Amino acid sequence: MSSSNGFWSLAFHTLFVIFVMAPIVVVCFMAFTPEGYLSMPTNGVSLRWFEALLNNKEFVGSFRISLALGAASATVAALISIPAAMAIVRYDFPGRTAFLTLCMSPLMVPSIVLGVAFLRFFSQIGMSGTLVGLTISHVILIVPYVLRTIMNSLGSLDSALDHAAASLGSSAWRTFRRVTLPLTLPGILSGWVLAFITSFDEVTMTIFISGPGTTTLPVRLMLYIEDSIDPLVAAVSTVLIVMALVVMLILDRLFGLDRMLIGRSPSDPDR
Amino acid sequence: MTPEDANGHQRSPLVRISGLTKRYGNTTVVDRLKLDVGQGEFVSLLGPSGCGKTTTLQMIGGFVRPDGGKIELAGRDLTSVAASKRGLGIVFQSYALFPHMTAAENVAYGLEVRNVSRSERAEQVKAALDLVGLAPYGDRYPRAMSGGQQQRVALARALVIKPRVLLLDEPLSNLDASLREEMQVELRRIQQTTGTTTILVTHDQTEAMALSDRIVLMRSGQIEQIGAPEHVYDHPDTRFVANFLGKTNLFQGDVGQSKMRLGNLSWATPDATPDGPVTIAVRPEKIALADDGLPAKVSARTFQGGQWLLDLDTPHGPVLMQRQNVGARPPTVGERVCLTWSRDDMHLIREEAAR
Repeated sequence: MSSSNGFWSLAFHTLFVIFVMAPIVVVCFMAFTPEGYLSMPTNGVSLRWFEALLNNKEFVGSFRISLALGAASATVAALISIPAAMAIVRYDFPGRTAFLTLCMSPLMVPSIVLGVAFLRFFSQIGMSGTLVGLTISHVILIVPYVLRTIMNSLGSLDSALDHAAASLGSSAWRTFRRVTLPLTLPGILSGWVLAFITSFDEVTMTIFISGPGTTTLPVRLMLYIEDSIDPLVAAVSTVLIVMALVVMLILDRLFGLDRMLIGRSPSDPDR
Repeated sequence: MTPEDANGHQRSPLVRISGLTKRYGNTTVVDRLKLDVGQGEFVSLLGPSGCGKTTTLQMIGGFVRPDGGKIELAGRDLTSVAASKRGLGIVFQSYALFPHMTAAENVAYGLEVRNVSRSERAEQVKAALDLVGLAPYGDRYPRAMSGGQQQRVALARALVIKPRVLLLDEPLSNLDASLREEMQVELRRIQQTTGTTTILVTHDQTEAMALSDRIVLMRSGQIEQIGAPEHVYDHPDTRFVANFLGKTNLFQGDVGQSKMRLGNLSWATPDATPDGPVTIAVRPEKIALADDGLPAKVSARTFQGGQWLLDLDTPHGPVLMQRQNVGARPPTVGERVCLTWSRDDMHLIREEAAR
């Protein structure tokens, strides 16, 4: 923290961070209680609820479904978004703005409306409750996130790079593989991670379209909380928080979070 | 290479551009441009921004599709050939080095595309880096190099593929003044070593004059004048050329009875000069002080180290003169002097004749 921050500003930021962090920290503490109910402070440390979580087939199954769904939909969304972003950033074609708006429109429609719409649509075509249906709906929901990050990353590339590669005899595909793709990879990966998290997190829409065999983790949590609240929920939350932290650390090590999220890294100021 | 022109014994040029036209909406950016570039020649497209020089280069490079006209390379029509199949070397204004590759990898890219074997590639990359004086820097990434070094890498990358023609798009404009002069010398040396036919786009007249065999002065999408730098400088066809290439003094005089007149002064004219009003151009460095001539009063003087710049008021408008910093001190502000110049250093401009 630089010395240019005054006392009040420091105090404000400290309070703000405490306010944001407190619920997360409290949940993590509660997960280790030996009691049968949510308690804090607690009179001991126990892994009992983590054990219960591991033995709970429904939660473990939902966790697997959420992971698979997140990975599949983020990957499909990235594969769709790469060519779409290149078309939007590089070319000026008729209907370009309309196309971009269409791709971004899921952001503007409330998830609950999407949920109801997909429910109707999937039951009409007999796809309700299937993993394929879930994946399709999640892809549509997360494309805006992936598309945006990839577009930012492509837009910051010097267009002369393409021309330079072409002048050296490089085919369009080779230029993409050797120049464009490596240089936009951080953007694509950060888009993928953002999409994965959004998909993993999504409840409002998913609750309408997931079936008995395809209940995702957040939906499972919602259903669970409806009839009982016990430290199992806290244990699930703790596992998710720790996982998120680990993923963040790995990404930071590999690419630098600054560069992935803001599009630049402090170590190369000229880019 | 078969000669195509009528007189038969002249060899056809390496690059032949004819009727080249580009329009954006209602604006014609390049208008029926015609230009021949000979083998080994260094030609500069020079002009103010918006004169169409960059668009012309982009059309030669294959990045902009012309609306009309033809670009031929060694007799082969390039107009509909993809940029990647033209085999030209291009140095971009931003250098456009691949930031995720080292200098050597950047240079190797064009060879890799051409399936040159690994060992031969290494050899040619080394030779190219040697040529631009960057042999020890092959392992560096572009971001760890200075602007001048990046520029050299870009040059090596363009030259290593042995292009028929090298295109340079304002290559020195991002460098500071002293480095720019150094790179001008380098560029000329490298071009002469390799003998590569080169087309340079620039808005910097000093750069164009220092580097080129011929200058193509462009204005509003058309060629204003083509010629060797010293010819274009000393014999500008139009007022625009006279003003764009260096500083010049323009006087409104007229020609009659085989004499050209400027107020009380008169000079003999060559026989062919038709009568009528004429613009007389005299370069600042060709003007001398004398006991007799055009009366003038010094309005400002600027010391520039090697020379003095004098601003003078005369009955025919303001005059700028340069005086080498040798011998006596130049006149001070307010002093009255007389200006003179040699008949040979005067140049007559008739706009109608030039157009």
